[in-house]
Amino acid sequence: MSKKKITLTILLFLIFCDILETFTQFCFKKSALSASEIDIANLSQIATFLHSAMTSPFLWFGLLSTISTFVIWSTILSKIDLSVAVPVASFSYILVPLTSIIFLHEKVALLRWVAIGFILIGVILVSLTSEEKKESA
Amino acid sequence: MKTSLFLIIGLIVLTSICDTISQICLKTTINSLGEFSSRHFKNVVRFILRLILKPKAWLALVFSTLSLIIWLLVLSKADLNFAFSVDSMHYIFIAIGSSLLLKEKVGGIRWLGTLSIVVGIILVTIS
Repeated sequence: MSKKKITLTILLFLIFCDILETFTQFCFKKSALSASEIDIANLSQIATFLHSAMTSPFLWFGLLSTISTFVIWSTILSKIDLSVAVPVASFSYILVPLTSIIFLHEKVALLRWVAIGFILIGVILVSLTSEEKKESA
Repeated sequence: MKTSLFLIIGLIVLTSICDTISQICLKTTINSLGEFSSRHFKNVVRFILRLILKPKAWLALVFSTLSLIIWLLVLSKADLNFAFSVDSMHYIFIAIGSSLLLKEKVGGIRWLGTLSIVVGIILVTIS
């Protein structure tokens, strides 16, 4: 089951997937923030939490973006190997913290960037030599 | 952060497990449908129709929804960059799940990758 090599178009779609994935996470975070005063350890408040998350338009943007990512990602995987796609897709492990710093004003310490480096290497190693594994970003 | 780190990490473990169950359900369903060779539009539609008739595909959707709900709970309390990094643990669960349940071969390099993710997650947690 040999697949064609990566082309510029596929690479651009992969980068687009990274950006969409980051956008999804940003939207989910925004929708969760609108309900952040709720105590999640208290199970009876979960319905209230979900209600306020669902009334946030960001949740729906996030869902739409997840579905788009899933469709584009599945199409990409029918063209190239997972072991080629994942290293490019895992760029979102850098993009998400950057977005968090710029748009959500979170702080990312140096040690955390080192940690992200380990995760990135790990994700790439896990995807190496993979013939067929999973279909999720 | 008022909510304890312990609870948040526990919830991230839970969302990752739900995600893994969903992936494994989807994978076993697609495997049971057999090879789908042609990219012809009619075959794609037929493939999707056969897929949605399988109860396990719906189970995958249920776990996927559950995973999203827990993820939203996590994000309401934790920083996005923290949660997203720790969530990379689903790669570990999928490696374990594929090897145990799907009998896929997980080689040395892949376990090394898994170890690297574990080190990364521990570092994120203490940072």
